Amino acid sequence: MTVSPVVAVENLVKTYQGTRKTPPVEAVRGISFSVEPGELFGLLGPNGAGKSTTLGCVTTLIRPTGGRILVDGVDVAKRPIEARRRIAVVPQVRNLDRDLSVREILVYHGRYFGIAAAERERRADRLLAELQIADKAEARPAALSGGMQQRVLIARALMHDPKVLLLDEPTTGLDPQARRLLWGTLEELHGRGLTIILTTHYMEEADRLCDRVAIVDHGRILNLDTPASLKKSLPGGHILDLWARSSVALLPLLERVPGVVRTEAVASDAEDGIERLRLFVDARDGLLDQVLHGVREAGGEVRHVSLTQPSLEDVYIHLTGKELRE
Amino acid sequence: MTAFLALLRRDLIVSGRHAGPLLLATLTQPVLVVLVFGNILPRLHLVADEFRTVMVPGLMSITMLMAGVQGVLMPLATDLSGSREVDERLLAPISVLGVALEKVVAGAIHAAGAGMVALPAMMLLMHRVTGVEVHPRWELLLPLVVLAGLLSAAFGLTLGTQVQPRFSGLLFAVVLGPLMLFGCAYYPWVGLRVLGAFQYVFLANPLVFMSEAMRMAVTPDVPHMPTPLLLGGLLAFTALFTLLGARSFERKTIL
Repeated sequence: MTVSPVVAVENLVKTYQGTRKTPPVEAVRGISFSVEPGELFGLLGPNGAGKSTTLGCVTTLIRPTGGRILVDGVDVAKRPIEARRRIAVVPQVRNLDRDLSVREILVYHGRYFGIAAAERERRADRLLAELQIADKAEARPAALSGGMQQRVLIARALMHDPKVLLLDEPTTGLDPQARRLLWGTLEELHGRGLTIILTTHYMEEADRLCDRVAIVDHGRILNLDTPASLKKSLPGGHILDLWARSSVALLPLLERVPGVVRTEAVASDAEDGIERLRLFVDARDGLLDQVLHGVREAGGEVRHVSLTQPSLEDVYIHLTGKELRE
Repeated sequence: MTAFLALLRRDLIVSGRHAGPLLLATLTQPVLVVLVFGNILPRLHLVADEFRTVMVPGLMSITMLMAGVQGVLMPLATDLSGSREVDERLLAPISVLGVALEKVVAGAIHAAGAGMVALPAMMLLMHRVTGVEVHPRWELLLPLVVLAGLLSAAFGLTLGTQVQPRFSGLLFAVVLGPLMLFGCAYYPWVGLRVLGAFQYVFLANPLVFMSEAMRMAVTPDVPHMPTPLLLGGLLAFTALFTLLGARSFERKTIL
């Protein structure tokens, strides 16, 4: 069975023109992916990876340098107005109309999209209730907390019944409680069959919410799959992190231990000479013993060990060789 | 078109909620100028009596210019600020040009409204304190007020998209101030014949055409510039600023 994707991005390129003082920036260098109906798709990567630019191109607010984007079959560059009817955007910066009340924000959004009077009132009431902001209906955005504003943004986005909801770093800056509440909301919308694309630099968020995740860095997709498959793609299937001090290089030594599939030096703390080594291992009996033995035999000292199931963050570190930090 | 009208409606309703301060901003200058230049200075014999009649249309055009420019400039500063409120408009089913034109129309309504509030206020005040009366030709005034309003709002769009908000103080001191002084607000353009060829340099100032248009409609007895020149100037400047403004608006909003 083939279903046509809701969003198809083909060889997207975006280069921001430089000025006299700044060189041009190649923010996106050839990104392709497609999102199926009902899918919750995530673009995961550090700040500056090109995720927001990619999303901006889908929303028509950023003009691509090359490539093509189709939303529900509509070419975004050629028919932007048609495309805008099909998408809804929750921007990274909360841009609620500060001169209107929450209810007016929803109703006016409906007006912009030409929704009939009775219908837009009905939808506004329904969304106010669903997003649990009904008691703030008469408040101005400035009087709301960040999490509350975020829910208003989602309610506003859903007013015109979009084919796909795009969220740019929806939980950045929210406290843990508001973040969980928002996750619940997104899960519920996803459960109802709404197609959702979000960008995030939170591994946990991508892992918990997304059906598929594209790991983005330096304007390219490094890998794209379900979170489970991404994690399985790591060699060995388990991760043994080792904090150790040694005068000789440990990695070549440890690579020879049976069961160690691959080794990486993640980071070293120059101050007390402790190295952090990452071993991708299969979980066979006696492996830990052999590794510790190997370090001791080389005259090294193990400070700390952790054996874990890989997380998306590990996949990310494996792909980029660096940790994901803001 | 639906989105255009909905945006316009939103802007007018929000302005309506600030009607008090807007009215104050509109009326303060013309009322005070009428009191000083229409009453105090003539009584001190420091200005000629005719000046009272000459300045009414000029004050009206200055009021409209300020209202039109500010009516676009201020919301635009919010729109283009860090909070990017403009993005919601750009995501509505309307072209970028449509969003820009809506701003011009909203600003023009501000300006026309300001002019039509300032004129009767000045007429009343003038009559009460000096006994001077002006008899506007309303049938000419209304279409000219609309044109002058569009010109000032389009000018506001150009300024608002090309000048960073932090320089807006400078804008009023360095751009709008001189424009007002050399905008034929306080003297009719035909009188500038005494300056020789310099008379034509004044035609680079859009306010000149607004002042002359108001002069033609509000004080028909005072001579004004030839009508074709006047209308041509209004239309040409409106087209120029709309084009420039819309272009830089698009450049500022769509990356």
